[in-house]
Amino acid sequence: MATYKLHYFNLRGRGEVARLIFAAAGQQFDDIRYERAEWPSHNAEMPLGQIPVLEFNGVKLPQSLAIARFLAKQFQFAGKDNLEQAKVDAVADTVADLMAKYGPTYKEQMETKNQACIQKFLAEELPRHLTNLETLGQMYSDGGYFFVGNHLTWVDLFLYDLLETIRQHDDHILVKYSWLKHNHEEVEKQPKIAAYLKSRTQTPV
Amino acid sequence: MSTYKLYYFSGRGRAEVSRLIFAAAGQKYEDIRYERDQWPSHKSEMPLGQMPVLEVDGTKLPQSLSIARFLAKQFQLAGKDNLEQAKVDAVVDTTSDLVSKYMPVHFEQDPKKKEELILKFLTEELPKHLQNLETLGKLYGNGGPFFVGNHLTWADLFFYEMGGNMLQVDANCLDNLPWLKKNRTEVEKQPKIAEYLKNRPQTQF
Repeated sequence: MATYKLHYFNLRGRGEVARLIFAAAGQQFDDIRYERAEWPSHNAEMPLGQIPVLEFNGVKLPQSLAIARFLAKQFQFAGKDNLEQAKVDAVADTVADLMAKYGPTYKEQMETKNQACIQKFLAEELPRHLTNLETLGQMYSDGGYFFVGNHLTWVDLFLYDLLETIRQHDDHILVKYSWLKHNHEEVEKQPKIAAYLKSRTQTPV
Repeated sequence: MSTYKLYYFSGRGRAEVSRLIFAAAGQKYEDIRYERDQWPSHKSEMPLGQMPVLEVDGTKLPQSLSIARFLAKQFQLAGKDNLEQAKVDAVVDTTSDLVSKYMPVHFEQDPKKKEELILKFLTEELPKHLQNLETLGKLYGNGGPFFVGNHLTWADLFFYEMGGNMLQVDANCLDNLPWLKKNRTEVEKQPKIAEYLKNRPQTQF
């Protein structure tokens, strides 16, 4: 029996996509969560002094997307052949581009307590990322509402969680993006995901 | 037999890792390069209005690292099983983190500001990212010179290229990182790579 340990903060952030994959797969794992104050004493245990880290069969893996892709491949959520997996990866990179713009904005808002940067992000940055994702969804989805090949893959889960975070600022961000709206609804309808979402620890990010 | 078309600017940039993979695999492909003034008329042909794009058997894939991973898997340069591939991905993501920090410096137009940014980058960013890569090389390299599993993977090719760019900024940046230095030497010794490096177009970026 393989054992999986996920080390992360007590947040969704960069760890949640892995947790969602475990949930979709119905796979048990050790969900190790560090509070901010605890983290410095564990920093040196991680290869790059960062989390998330996945521990599997004695190997420690850093880098949230490398971890997610590994788990997705273990549990058949990565795409059924190399080309499908490449489409999934391309969408995931596009989601990561959005996350890379959102992260600093969120941090700025927390530090300055000023909503202006969030409003700027929502008006000037978010739309082109959503348009890109809507484009890829329509291109790769084979007429369905999962991003690639008519079945759930890890990128559906990755975007789902990020949009849940961004929606906290504005619940209407998907109004103009009908494919993305359907994709979002499709993910939360999946029985194992619905059950997980109901019971997961609620955190702001 | 698949046919491959790679679309990018007339430069190394985000496409070069894929060109190195094709070279290592001895695989023919159409190396389409657009000059800056040609690009606007082709922009709408690309899924996200960006390059590089790989066209394989009629499907267009954006996102440089997804393209590279797909090609590496096609040609057995990605790692021999899921866990090896995850280690390779983790190294690639760590190299990519370094590139992301360098990009704003690279694109700064104001010469005085650029000088300040370069200095800041060289003192505050570059050393820790390179140290992270040295750490992973020793952790996953099985005592050999390649990043993962004692054989060439695209992680070595990606670092070769990006490490080369960093050496242009600071020729001494690898002086205290013997594992990384040896890794790059090993890559450029590979016959197909040596041949490619000798013949590739010399470009500014």
